Amino acid sequence: MRIFILLFLFSLQLLAITADEIIKKVEHNIQSDSGYSKITMVVTTARGERTMRMESWNRGNEKSFIKILYPKQDRGITFLKIDTTMWQYVPKIEKIIKIPSSMMMQSWMGSDFTNDDMAKESSIVKDYNAVISAEDEKHYTLSLFPKEDAPVVWGKIVMQIEKENFVPLQAVYFDEDGIEQRVLYYSEVKVFGTHHLPTRMTLLPSNKEKNKTVVIMDEVDFDIVIDDSRFSKSALKRYSR
Amino acid sequence: MILKMAVRELLTHKKRSFITLLLSAFSTGLFIFANAISDGSHNQLIRSSVEVYPGYMQITNRAFEDNPSFDNLIFDVAKVKDVLGAVKGIKSYAVRFEAFSLYSTEEQSIGGMFTAIEPENEAEVSRLKSSLIEGEYLRREDTNALYIGAELAKRLKVGVGEKISFISTGADYSFAADNLVIKGLFKTKLYEFDNSCAFVNKAYFDTVMKSENIATHIIMTPDDVNEIDTLTNDLQKALDDTLEVKNYKTTMKDLIMAMEIDEVFGYITLGIFFVVIFFVISIFAFLSVYARIRQIGVLRAIGTTPVQIVGMLLIEAMILGILSVGIGGGASAYATHHYEKHPINFSNWGDVELEEYYKQYNMVAEVTIPTEFNPPKILIEMLVMLLLNLLTVVYPIVMINRFTPTEAIRYV
Repeated sequence: MRIFILLFLFSLQLLAITADEIIKKVEHNIQSDSGYSKITMVVTTARGERTMRMESWNRGNEKSFIKILYPKQDRGITFLKIDTTMWQYVPKIEKIIKIPSSMMMQSWMGSDFTNDDMAKESSIVKDYNAVISAEDEKHYTLSLFPKEDAPVVWGKIVMQIEKENFVPLQAVYFDEDGIEQRVLYYSEVKVFGTHHLPTRMTLLPSNKEKNKTVVIMDEVDFDIVIDDSRFSKSALKRYSR
Repeated sequence: MILKMAVRELLTHKKRSFITLLLSAFSTGLFIFANAISDGSHNQLIRSSVEVYPGYMQITNRAFEDNPSFDNLIFDVAKVKDVLGAVKGIKSYAVRFEAFSLYSTEEQSIGGMFTAIEPENEAEVSRLKSSLIEGEYLRREDTNALYIGAELAKRLKVGVGEKISFISTGADYSFAADNLVIKGLFKTKLYEFDNSCAFVNKAYFDTVMKSENIATHIIMTPDDVNEIDTLTNDLQKALDDTLEVKNYKTTMKDLIMAMEIDEVFGYITLGIFFVVIFFVISIFAFLSVYARIRQIGVLRAIGTTPVQIVGMLLIEAMILGILSVGIGGGASAYATHHYEKHPINFSNWGDVELEEYYKQYNMVAEVTIPTEFNPPKILIEMLVMLLLNLLTVVYPIVMINRFTPTEAIRYV
């Protein structure tokens, strides 16, 4: 009898999903080998609201290219990210600028996102150890702790993930002292093939009550063919027009 | 009669009188000069630190210090300027807008402060203009002209006349970028400041950063620095509650506190110095009075009263005290006056190490230290030393008056 109980427990252990597997399923939902999206970003501050529109191309997590379409004065500004390095082309000054590490925590285009968010988006799995810190019928709660010597700014990230389709619902970011810095909410899930993608993200900084940045995916195409030349420094200027 | 006896006594024992006088004069001089150099160095450090850039007084949005975002700015500069024009006691003021920027050249990109100033007004509240080392300072009609810290320019490998680009976030959180030409280089002796700051004319800045009638700081210089606390309170009452007025005693409280702690240690050192000097002079006075016990016994025996004896000894001490304090005080007053005008230069005392020390603590790298020539304070210090001289003879006088004339004459 005891051997059956042990076998049953062992099989349960085999069936249990690990935190890393959850993260991979989440990543599958929100990312693709190559994709295109048209995005609206609405930045709200205590003094008003600004809307930006942009196009984005990505190849996996490692490469992405963003072009600003609106407002008019910012049209043609392009960004290229390869791994964790970021370049920017500004038509007004006709210059390609590599964003230095000292600027990574600065605001990206006046939003509540930082350059670091844009550049290090791919490093969550690489730089953090994930554990399942809570679980109920519908949700997993994962806690992500930075690996030793990982070049990251967050002391902890707590993610809530919907169990059925592994869709992220929210991510709470804490600094090294364990103080909550911001919350990112995911909503308006749409299905694109095998991807369950939240098409609206709302970032609320914890220390700025009146600030909010909303990212809305207006158009999304997964697994499309993108020319290699899109992810080169020369593309920054070429595709700016 | 008593005065004549005292003078004669001093002249009879010239060597003893001279040594006492020398000891006391040297102590007085050292005491006054040490205080003057301590005050002078502290004042210079505070003045330099304040005048290089931070300014004596500032107005900011009340929430700016805790959360220096573009939500917490001075949103109606014109209104504040009206108030400043109506409040008495403000000598000059200047508007600033401090932003963070990425400077980029063909070779590299470096983050730094990108600050808008009103060139003419700024020259009245800080040493930015006088810190020019190459090129020219900004003017109110300048556009696309950058006045940059020499260390930052060195890191960017650019010089006067060369082009540089900046990207930043405007006051309305929009994207801001433009090409600039370096008009001048400055060096303030504040290493970290020179290494991270650059300035443009605010009229131009407003067009690219959407910051018209908006500022992060308004810097002021008072007519009288001694009245700065009263002026700060008056101005705070005159402004609306979203704005906060602070003076250097608050904005630079760490430096002020460091100076106060240094002063306390200075007083402790002086206290020890006082005790040592007091005992040295006391012992000298004690020995010289005791050497005259038989003489005093004879004086008492021929009818001199104890009060007259006390008077004679006090007059002796007073003459020596006045002379020594006068000589020591006069010499040190001359020296403090001289070194106030021509500060002591430490540049040949290993300035490389000094420079590193200043960099480490982000202090103004001054290699000269002036004394502070403050005549009323010098007079008070001279009086203190005179009192100290008189106190040294109190115990010998009390002791000597315990002897009867017979005991004194027989004293061996």
